[in-house]
Amino acid sequence: MPALKPFILKLTLVAGLLAACAPTAPTAPPEPGAAPAGDLVLYSGRSEALIQPVIDQFQALYPDINVALKAGSNSELAAALLEERANPQADLFLTTELMTVQKMANEGVFQPYQPGTPDAVPADYHHPDWLWTGLTLRARVLIYNTQLVTPAAAPQSVLDLTKPEWRGQLAAAGSTNGGFQAHVAALRQLIGDAATTAWLTGLSANEVQFFGGHTDVRKAVGAGEFQVGLVNHYYYHLQKAEGSPVAVVYPDQGEGQMGVVVNATGIGVIAGARHAAAAGLFIDYLLSPEGQQLFAELNYEYPVRPGVPLHPEVQPLTGLRLAAFDVVAAADSLESTLDLLETLGIP
Amino acid sequence: MANLIVASLVGLQSRWRERQIGKRRLSRPLLLAALAVAALVATPLAYLLLRAATAPAETWARLLQTRLLGLLTNTLALMAAVTLGTVVLGVALAWLVERTDLPGRPVWRWLLAVPLAMPAFIGAVVHVALLRPRGGIVPRFLAETLGVDWQGPSPFGFWGAAFMLTLFMYPYVYLLSAAAFRNLHASLEEAARSLGRNAWQTLWTVTLPVLRPGLAAGALLVALDVLAEYGTVALLRYETFSAAIFLQLSGRYDRSAAAILSGGLVVIALAVLAIELWLQGRARAEQVGGHWRPAPPQPLRAWRWPAFALVAAVSLATVFVPVTVLAAWTVQGLRDGPTLAELDRAAGRGLGHYLFNSLWSAGLAAGLAVALSVPVAYLAVRYPRWTSRGLSHLCQVGYALPGVVVALSLILLTNTALPALRGLPLVVVLAYVVRHMPQAVRSSQAALAQLAPSLEEAGRSLGRDSLNVLLTVTVPLIFPGLLAGAALVFLTSLKELPATLLLRPAGFDTLAVRVWLAANDGLYPQAAPAALLLTLCAAVPLAFLLRRGRI
Repeated sequence: MPALKPFILKLTLVAGLLAACAPTAPTAPPEPGAAPAGDLVLYSGRSEALIQPVIDQFQALYPDINVALKAGSNSELAAALLEERANPQADLFLTTELMTVQKMANEGVFQPYQPGTPDAVPADYHHPDWLWTGLTLRARVLIYNTQLVTPAAAPQSVLDLTKPEWRGQLAAAGSTNGGFQAHVAALRQLIGDAATTAWLTGLSANEVQFFGGHTDVRKAVGAGEFQVGLVNHYYYHLQKAEGSPVAVVYPDQGEGQMGVVVNATGIGVIAGARHAAAAGLFIDYLLSPEGQQLFAELNYEYPVRPGVPLHPEVQPLTGLRLAAFDVVAAADSLESTLDLLETLGIP
Repeated sequence: MANLIVASLVGLQSRWRERQIGKRRLSRPLLLAALAVAALVATPLAYLLLRAATAPAETWARLLQTRLLGLLTNTLALMAAVTLGTVVLGVALAWLVERTDLPGRPVWRWLLAVPLAMPAFIGAVVHVALLRPRGGIVPRFLAETLGVDWQGPSPFGFWGAAFMLTLFMYPYVYLLSAAAFRNLHASLEEAARSLGRNAWQTLWTVTLPVLRPGLAAGALLVALDVLAEYGTVALLRYETFSAAIFLQLSGRYDRSAAAILSGGLVVIALAVLAIELWLQGRARAEQVGGHWRPAPPQPLRAWRWPAFALVAAVSLATVFVPVTVLAAWTVQGLRDGPTLAELDRAAGRGLGHYLFNSLWSAGLAAGLAVALSVPVAYLAVRYPRWTSRGLSHLCQVGYALPGVVVALSLILLTNTALPALRGLPLVVVLAYVVRHMPQAVRSSQAALAQLAPSLEEAGRSLGRDSLNVLLTVTVPLIFPGLLAGAALVFLTSLKELPATLLLRPAGFDTLAVRVWLAANDGLYPQAAPAALLLTLCAAVPLAFLLRRGRI
């Protein structure tokens, strides 16, 4: 069979080429003390658009470290981390609220890491043993379209969203979104389970459009597809920056009202991480004045580090009535909160 | 009558032949290889069903109370609507192109198959951007230039999803019925006409019934694809089983609810697949040899231009509008400062990198799937018994395993049994192989069925063993057929979204994933270049397949 040899040769070549193209498994951890290099694997609950600019700046400082990003929802990545505990794939986990990092800390997913400048983080915003660290704060606000809603008519409390006048006019991020999950968990502490259930049922009855993320919400409100949206405060600024006719309400500021709910983003180093040293450098960078400034300027967030200036357009949190809730207790109620959302059929 | 006799004679002859061949001993290595392949494909399914069955009772109760009924009606309604829509549209277009004097037939014949190169969710992205009430390009344009407040039909929900999926899935039915129309015996219709039936009556009473088995198979493939669809329904805010499973996977820590929903989805899909396999078996017996000659085209007369308008509208909606909008977005992205910076950064990491990921993962999947399909196909064609046929059918369960389900079962499997695979892009390739193995098996079987066994018998009579003959005689001879199967797997793997999305390790993004991530955030100019590139890449294997007439 003379025709066979070239044929088999071709097959082998093709297979060889394909195999050569396939990236190989991550290699063994580097020697301790070696200059940090290699792939730093970051699981991020923040969407890629909101974290990539910061990663780019970090990589400009440390060109030998390649940050490999997997962005998803907090809960999806948390589930992956729990499954990977025996064979960790990630070095860092960044979330958009603190319940999930607290829960991961309880589950032994993190190893402690104390930043180079521990004073950068107020005690309320890090784990007592430094298993996670807060990075930035964000307020849960209402965004509305000024062509469709007058300031006087705009809802002043998140509890107003169940009023019949808003039927079919509301957008929010749904049950897979960490910000929304944390908001519901906070409400359960603030107004109780019965009132929270009634609120969620009221949202469903008001035909709230639940999206996968807040970008959809802000765009829909900006375009006038919906009149009011429930978002984190910086989504208002991002939409405003696109030139849309939108305004913001920091809700529940009246006497006797619960106050605006504030979440923090958090980050932790994975126990057994292959690149723990590089992971520490990354956290230090995010907490440095430059890193904090990036979050404030590019994404209008409240830096966790005291003294870093806010973006001039952002309303300072000082002087606002802030909702008082306990993150640790909220983390313990995370799963029952998810159950509640599912039972009520919130998409 | 004569045809009937021919048909039964052909059937008898082949059954006799099968019995003769069936007496040969099965080669043991081949059988083991085929068993291993079937095990590889069937393990995710078995594991998933096990997980669903052993899920906690309260999870079952919670889902039964709240989700299952609604999801079931949603999913079945969409499946029925899209299947019906694609059959009507596909057959109508095929008839117009193959059997009438429609103007521009040679061009339409190709253009109408082109939607296969574009994933439906990319079409849906464009559709939403154009028609979205209040925010869409078309309503805004009308309001700003003409002062007309036109909101149009909402692109979202059931009708939006049914419309989009029909537009992007009709080519399955179109290609199958176009081939059937081309191969149809002219004398059948002539007999009907000579007995006094008019053209319409002939179409309904003679032509369509002859097409029915092939059509039914095409329709069931569409139904399976609708069950598996994730991107389009998620984007159009219509919740089906696939979308709900994805939601469970991204919203919960606990995988058991997702496993239960997947079990439900797979049961529906297996039922559809079983009908399809059964019809396929029957369709084979109904093929009739004879003196084929082309039937003369049917004059459309007054309907000529309305028919032309229909065909043009379909091409406009499925090819020209999406490509134009994507191209415009790309240009806009290149001209707009911040977006260009974004693209630049993406390119630095970059667009070429995503292209490379897409190509090698789809290419490796295509090679693996075809290589693995050979032993299964060979046994099923050359040693037709219940064991070999059963193995071949088992390898087709991929059709019944939507991307999200394959992903979930691989997540569960790598989690428990194969932790070493975790975090490797190879898992993504494995998902493609499992999911698209049926296409490879069917292509290889078709190629083998056309090869006369006498060639192999000659090889054996010269003292070679079965395995040697398979490798040195059979595979080289059916290589073009295998290549067609590989092209098909490559094409569908390139377009795959949900499994890639769920299984990709950090830093491993494909073009489809990039399009989805950007479009999902409403960043259309950033999504467009990857979408165009993906469509372009998919057009290559599609053109190859269309030339070979193998789709």
